[in-house]
Amino acid sequence: MTALTRRAFAAGAMASLLVGCGGQETEPTADAQSRRSRDREASAGERSPSPNSARALGRSTPVRLRIPAIAVDTPLILLGLAADGTAQVPPITADDRAGWYRHSPTPGQVGPSVILGHVTVGEYGDGVFRRLGELRRGDRIVARREDGTSAQFAVSAVRTVAKADFPADEVYGDVNRPELRLITCGGPREGEEYRDNVIVFAELDSATPAP
Amino acid sequence: MRRTTLSALALTCTALLASVTPAFADSATPSPVPSPTEVPSATAAPTPSAEPTEPPSSTAPSAAPTRAPQDGQVSVVPSGAPDTGETTPAANSSTERGGLVGGGAAALLVAGGATAFVVRRRRANGA
Repeated sequence: MTALTRRAFAAGAMASLLVGCGGQETEPTADAQSRRSRDREASAGERSPSPNSARALGRSTPVRLRIPAIAVDTPLILLGLAADGTAQVPPITADDRAGWYRHSPTPGQVGPSVILGHVTVGEYGDGVFRRLGELRRGDRIVARREDGTSAQFAVSAVRTVAKADFPADEVYGDVNRPELRLITCGGPREGEEYRDNVIVFAELDSATPAP
Repeated sequence: MRRTTLSALALTCTALLASVTPAFADSATPSPVPSPTEVPSATAAPTPSAEPTEPPSSTAPSAAPTRAPQDGQVSVVPSGAPDTGETTPAANSSTERGGLVGGGAAALLVAGGATAFVVRRRRANGA
């Protein structure tokens, strides 16, 4: 092999290398987060009803939600049903907010009050419920209501479930005490969607009267 | 001389193939944003009679939430799982694709230049 041929090969190899270096799709960290959430599910899975649940409140629309453990403090919007029959979700905006499903009891009423929020909001980055999966049993959730009262809940379980196996009965089914469900997405991304839902179950701990 | 031309041709083809494959591997289209402004037509009036009453015997022993004999708490049960995660729009990939195409073109240019240089040198040397 002559020196010239060697040079020609070297030039070709360099060109191939240049092309090969272009655009590697970065894998989102959702997988790692999903793994952590799933590990957590095992520890938070078992639930025992608290025997002394606080007294239920009357109906009043929730206006704000605070979850100190994960630094969430968000106004609540009203959500209904989407055209396809699924639960409506908050709009994709930079100032992401959570929303209360208005066909469910208000927080503090007997029954499962349902609040939904995004885990991510596309180009705007993290959603209001980005860290929902980090909640632990016993963590505090406070819902402030239109009538000035606040309902304080304690987390009883955190579950990550495949969307295909969404436990509608456990989430929306009747219960005989005031409870709260916080729902967001989680797990790895499959195409343009997340594979799982993260669901936080909480029970009423105390209710503060209007000032 | 023929060997030189052939090797130059092979190099150019390799570079061309390598650049074309990754440039168009990603054909994602921007994901549609859900239309949350849609107001559901269903009235808020609860329809308790439509809800099936759950017999107390069907309650799961410990994992399931406590069942109440009364119904109508969630008056309208949504179908399916809520879609509460808008992923990063695929529009991002358009800039990425532009970079890939540009990189591929640059690589081609380099390969072509190198080939021409080698061929000229060989000719000059009378190889």
